[in-house]
Amino acid sequence: MEAVMRSRVRMMIAALVVAAGVSAVVTLSVTRAAGQAARSARTADGKPDFSGIWQAANEANWDLEAHEARAGMVTQQGVYPYDYARVPAAPVLALGAAGGVPGSLGVVEGDGQIPYTPEAAVIKQENAENWIDRDPELKCYLPGIPRAMYMPYPFQIFQSTNKIQMAFEFSDAARVIHLDEVEPPPTYSYMGHSVGRWDGDALVVDVTDFNGKNWFDRAGNFHSDALHIEERFTLMTPDVIWYEVAIEDPKTFTQPWKIAMPLYRRMEPNMQLLDYRCTDFVEEFLYGNLRKDQLVRHWEGETIVIDITRKLPPGNELYDWYRK
Amino acid sequence: MRRRFNLIYMTVMAAAAAGFLSIPVSGQAPTAPKTSWGEPDLQGIWASDFQIPLERPEQYAGREFLTEEEVAALDTERAADLGRDERAERGTTADVGGAYNAVFVSVRRSGRRTSLIVDPPDGRIPPFTPQAEERQQAERAFRLALLQATPDCENQTRRCAGGTNGPPSPRLNEAPPYYNVGRLNRSDNPEDRSMNERCLQGKLADLSGGGLSGAIRHRIVQSPGFVSIYYDARQGQGFHRTIPITTAPHLPPQVRQWRGDSRGHWEGNTLVVDVTHFTPKYENRGAHENLHYTERWTRTGPDTLELVSTFDDPTTWTRPWTVREEYNKQDEYANRVYDDNRCHEGNYGLVGILSGARAKDKAFAEGRGPDPATLSGRD
Repeated sequence: MEAVMRSRVRMMIAALVVAAGVSAVVTLSVTRAAGQAARSARTADGKPDFSGIWQAANEANWDLEAHEARAGMVTQQGVYPYDYARVPAAPVLALGAAGGVPGSLGVVEGDGQIPYTPEAAVIKQENAENWIDRDPELKCYLPGIPRAMYMPYPFQIFQSTNKIQMAFEFSDAARVIHLDEVEPPPTYSYMGHSVGRWDGDALVVDVTDFNGKNWFDRAGNFHSDALHIEERFTLMTPDVIWYEVAIEDPKTFTQPWKIAMPLYRRMEPNMQLLDYRCTDFVEEFLYGNLRKDQLVRHWEGETIVIDITRKLPPGNELYDWYRK
Repeated sequence: MRRRFNLIYMTVMAAAAAGFLSIPVSGQAPTAPKTSWGEPDLQGIWASDFQIPLERPEQYAGREFLTEEEVAALDTERAADLGRDERAERGTTADVGGAYNAVFVSVRRSGRRTSLIVDPPDGRIPPFTPQAEERQQAERAFRLALLQATPDCENQTRRCAGGTNGPPSPRLNEAPPYYNVGRLNRSDNPEDRSMNERCLQGKLADLSGGGLSGAIRHRIVQSPGFVSIYYDARQGQGFHRTIPITTAPHLPPQVRQWRGDSRGHWEGNTLVVDVTHFTPKYENRGAHENLHYTERWTRTGPDTLELVSTFDDPTTWTRPWTVREEYNKQDEYANRVYDDNRCHEGNYGLVGILSGARAKDKAFAEGRGPDPATLSGRD
């Protein structure tokens, strides 16, 4: 009897939730219409309209290639010697299931593998094994293109006639796409130099002049300063961009390769980019070992005690660490 | 091809400039340019071509403008000043400290106005409130405490003005009384260093005139209902800022931002922006999280953009004050906006400052060097 009663309550709750959902949808569309005017898929110039706040909803920033879920962002050998039985390692252990890595079918087209040269494949492997020391994301360095486009933070596109400006929530990163002719850039950069053109309803962007310090993801996938990419933006619907990137870098890859993914419009009526000024947040990570007195040293939960020891690499190795 | 483009561009610009000259100087252009979707068009790269002090120097009291002769004299004086190109005695601290020579320092022509501040009429920032004055004094007292056992206080240099000479202060082991944004004579932690050295400077409403590398450059790009501004704010400390054209309320009060929260609307051809919600880590002329900053951006001609902004914070100043800045359109083709804001990525300076300080601590502990508390020049 009690079980029946409980299931009836559950059904009522379900019905209420559905009703609430419907009313939320209605409210949402009304607010959007009021707040942003009815959104046309085209600009006043007749081009597809990419303006707005977007975000990838995938695992590309974890690993562009197909991979199964992992127990931790950093793992170590478990009881068994098998890769599939590794356990979370010390840096992420206290995070439990929040410290793992979600699986993915990957975003690399074709056979799903990045065509590294044999030498580059070794570096990629070392990058993965030394993720905490080497991934520029952890140091809050500018993410570069294409990584900025699929990090788990929103970004905003401002599409005008001659320029398209983009602002990224992560690390104050920004880029501008020149649809008009400008002088070549004075130097190499993290975010590259972007020149765009319209190919029918596709925005095609040629990005060059990278300094080669960026990674593609947290798995150690990387490139050199010879990176040259061509991005292709097309609207699948007014609220979904199909984003493709053709990647070539003869110093790192044996042949060009391609990634593709949808980017979704953030539909919240009050959506706006907020600060994620990680330059401030990572001071302890980057410079904690240079404080007069170590500041972050000990944390204690009910089943775990964590003691942190900071160290100074000898001589120039200290500076090299910041350069990696 | 590029040269030809440049020529065409220059011709167009010259024609535009000629057109501007025929427009009355006061008031905005009768036909303000519009975007293809009908909003006033503020787009382009903008920077001030002229150097004007924020506050009116005493010698120009009661005068809003310089004479042509005074402008010419100032320009001649500046052009002749070798400044940091003159090296001090080789190997001295002064020599090393002058690392930024004229290559890094842009000297612009003198503007005609005697101050950027147009209100109060004396062209000066109004006095602090007692509350703000107290904070200033507390911060100053802390700075002086860190200097009191150093040659600066022993010799009563300007840096120690108001301080006393004595043994190392017990305050050497204290945190600053308020969140520190300036330099201290101490490098125990990154937080002892200035925002500039921590690559946390790039701030909204920066009135330093661009400092080292010349005027702050703005790239304005608009999309329907949005104004997007990239601030190339020197030393790779640039940042982006979004101004939504909206009647929506500001962020919830607990959400505080480094560049505040902007809400814009059009009044005729003027973009009016209301900015609040600054973080307590924000600092501007003594104001922090309570700053209410209001901007009025108006295209005054094809090549000129005016920004009239008001700084209001009853916890900091006894009255609001207003600044008028005039920006000049920069060459789109030359594209002189540096938007790879990589100060942080190359911040070996901070690593050097901190590791140098640790080396001094170690030398002292091992009896090989002086007590760091007795050293000045650590700021």
